[in-house]
Amino acid sequence: MSKNTLALCRQAPYGNALAREGLEAILAAAAMDQAPAVLFLGDGVFQLAGQKPEAIAEKNLRRNIQALPMFDVETLHVCKSSLLQRGIMPEALQVPGADIELVEDCGSFIRKFDHVLSF
Amino acid sequence: MKFTLVIYGAPHASEGAATALRFARALLEAGHTLYRVFFYADGIHNGSALAAPPQDEQDLLGQWQQLQQAHQLDLVVCIAAAQRRGLLSESEATRLEKPAANLAEGFELAGLGQLAEATAASDRIVTFGG
Repeated sequence: MSKNTLALCRQAPYGNALAREGLEAILAAAAMDQAPAVLFLGDGVFQLAGQKPEAIAEKNLRRNIQALPMFDVETLHVCKSSLLQRGIMPEALQVPGADIELVEDCGSFIRKFDHVLSF
Repeated sequence: MKFTLVIYGAPHASEGAATALRFARALLEAGHTLYRVFFYADGIHNGSALAAPPQDEQDLLGQWQQLQQAHQLDLVVCIAAAQRRGLLSESEATRLEKPAANLAEGFELAGLGQLAEATAASDRIVTFGG
């Protein structure tokens, strides 16, 4: 696509349906060869941390996350200060097939894109 | 300028739903183009034909339908988000063997591809609610 798009993942994984539905929208765009860049920030960084959603009868979001690199979203950008504020070690984030890239200055990172889809 | 609005807010629950409607009206009055309105997540409830707010409250559905008619707007409700939450067209209700359909006139169900396509085709994407 001619414009470059950034998708923001801002929601914790199971508190709000937008976490899952955001990932679904990203995968749908990627399936149309319009893969956006993705930035996890705020509570959205919890989407990349370990989860055991069986206990609350939810489907694991992990499957959607792991599908991202298969759909050409190979770099997952993560807000560094959001991680630190929540006590998540960057080393704890591992997605097979994806590169995790920490972003220090999210403001100037976001500014580089033509469009931002916020989930 | 070409706009697409993405709405996550449910009507009469999130102010975002009403703000989106006013924003749509304002941009059309200012001479801009509204390429598409994409209803996603809880925003799909904006397309329910069954909303019956009290008479002294604003009728968001009626206002969307009026605006749609006046400007031939493309009001698209995400089909996957709608199925989850129980918003069905006649054909979907039949296909899924559900007892009723409730998609309002002027709205259509379509896939997430419509959001990706609108993102590529628009100058501005503005998100409401969520």
